[in-house]
Amino acid sequence: MITLDIQNLEAKIGEKQILKGLNLQLEEGKVHAIMGPNGAGKSTLSKAIVGHYDVSIVGGDILFKGKSIKDMEPEERAKEGIFLSFQNPVEVPGVNNAYFLRTALNAKRVHEGKEELNAAEFLRLMKSHLSELGMKPDMISRSLNEGFSGGEKKRNEILQMLILEPDVIILDEIDSGLDIDALRAVSEGINKMKDGKRSFLVITHYSRILDYIEPDYIHVLKDGKIVKTAGAELVAQLEEEGYDSIANEQ
Amino acid sequence: MRLNSFKNKSLEELATLLAISPQNRPLKKFIEMGGLPSKKSEAYRYFDIESLLDGEYESLDYTPKVVNEGEEIVIENGVITTAPQGVRVYYEPCEQIDDDHFDPLYYLSHALYPRTIKIEVDGDRELKIVHRFTKSYAIINYRIVLFNQANRHSTIYESFEGKLVQNSFIMYGYDMHIAPDSSFRVVKLQTLQNQNYSMLASHKINVEKNGSCIFKSFDLGGDNALQLIKVELEEYAHIDAQHLLYLNDDSKRGTVSQIIHKGQHSTSNQEAKNILDGASRGIFDALIKVEHSAKYTKAIQNSKAILLHEKAYMVSKPQLEIYIDELEASHGSTTGQLDPQQLFYLQSRGISAIEARKMLVIAFANTMIETIRDSRHQELIRNEFDKVFYSKED
Repeated sequence: MITLDIQNLEAKIGEKQILKGLNLQLEEGKVHAIMGPNGAGKSTLSKAIVGHYDVSIVGGDILFKGKSIKDMEPEERAKEGIFLSFQNPVEVPGVNNAYFLRTALNAKRVHEGKEELNAAEFLRLMKSHLSELGMKPDMISRSLNEGFSGGEKKRNEILQMLILEPDVIILDEIDSGLDIDALRAVSEGINKMKDGKRSFLVITHYSRILDYIEPDYIHVLKDGKIVKTAGAELVAQLEEEGYDSIANEQ
Repeated sequence: MRLNSFKNKSLEELATLLAISPQNRPLKKFIEMGGLPSKKSEAYRYFDIESLLDGEYESLDYTPKVVNEGEEIVIENGVITTAPQGVRVYYEPCEQIDDDHFDPLYYLSHALYPRTIKIEVDGDRELKIVHRFTKSYAIINYRIVLFNQANRHSTIYESFEGKLVQNSFIMYGYDMHIAPDSSFRVVKLQTLQNQNYSMLASHKINVEKNGSCIFKSFDLGGDNALQLIKVELEEYAHIDAQHLLYLNDDSKRGTVSQIIHKGQHSTSNQEAKNILDGASRGIFDALIKVEHSAKYTKAIQNSKAILLHEKAYMVSKPQLEIYIDELEASHGSTTGQLDPQQLFYLQSRGISAIEARKMLVIAFANTMIETIRDSRHQELIRNEFDKVFYSKED
């Protein structure tokens, strides 16, 4: 079953067209990795999916579970079950991490027709995930991402993912700036989310993260289009021959 | 009384009009400074002082009343009505009037209210001062002298209550003397709004050697109010001045200040956070002056403003005037809208745009509210902020 169906997507940032008729289908329960050279449009693709204000979609469509989401507000897309783990999560001084996350979770629960969690219930849930990710308890009371190290920010993104339980998870360069221990902890968190139903879109420059999160498909994105799709074996070829070898195949 | 009737009057004419001696020091200073301020006066350049001076006000009777015992000091329409046991509160002429205040109305206020309210804070303690106003179309003018003793550490929580104060003009202020090796912490919460009143609070704070003043003002809501603060710092003295402004409708509020470093190794840290909604105007016109005598001082000044509406307007003028090389000093000012990256981040987690906006505004305010040491008072101010903010946002 296809969870996310991106059809002939064309998108601009400012006046510059970045995505030029991109087609991609994410299968239910599968891990899709997107690789590509700098400036290919990887981050623009992730921003287009979640409705970032920088990106304007000028052609094509994005269907989530068969429904077009391209005109939805970012919060509506999130409540539907789309989650982007940011490459550089922004710091928000003064917004308590736990308060923020409870507000987000309860917004989603209300959208799904479920009861909101009270503070005590939420705290129990948050604490259990904190220990799984090896995060310090003071993360509960600290301001959102403020003063967090690179590793702490990425773990906090995974914490949000574990709590919000989205259906489609986009990981934009989740491995950047992580040391081995942090990479392992983050990967374990991601692997825990694999349940045969959720789809993952892993955007990366390097193969390192793919040693921890085994992809089912590798897509090569160049000049705003997917130019090749293959299995995990493509990673070795890219490592060996670089992205130019893919251009040569087209 | 119409204050504009004082315009272009000589010292003698004004003394006769007010039935006070022409030798009255504050009155002489008022005349020396050119009398009533206008929109060209430095201190009132961004505040509509002229229409305020043109209003017709009832003059009040400030005859002292019996002071009842209570938990807080209550000053009702310029007269003490309640004071806690063990606090010395009395009326006395002010002897330590500043010689060089930048606000002419500081002197007029003293001239019109010769018997100041003196509050002697004895020992280490917390005090609450409630300013209560119940008169409309009146000029409510009073001065407070606040002083402590060496090696003592006190906190003043200042709040305002108003009932039927429409079109009144409130002029009050502190002459605060902070003794050597002591500290005064003043937390002002001003949420009085929707009463169509105006308020000028003209203060003079003198911090003696090794003394410390923490002055935190939380001005929330509407109407017109300006605090004019002059601070003098002696050797090793310190001031931490923080101002949070949240304005709505067409209100005009803010701070005009001068912090003068007179002694060596004195330090100042002044920070303003301003959130402006509607067609409001925020004012932060602040000068830090480091005199020749104030070597090795440290002065930091910063103002940040968030405009929530296209008609909102911030006047931000942080200024440094420095006469020596041996110091550390910095100042800065930013005015902008809510950070779109932060807004998007919250929205990307399912939080609506309206809720995200509220969270960020409250977060901006919280960074200052959280600096209040007492958690109960912190909670009180947070609740007051929410109340004022949500009354306009919902």
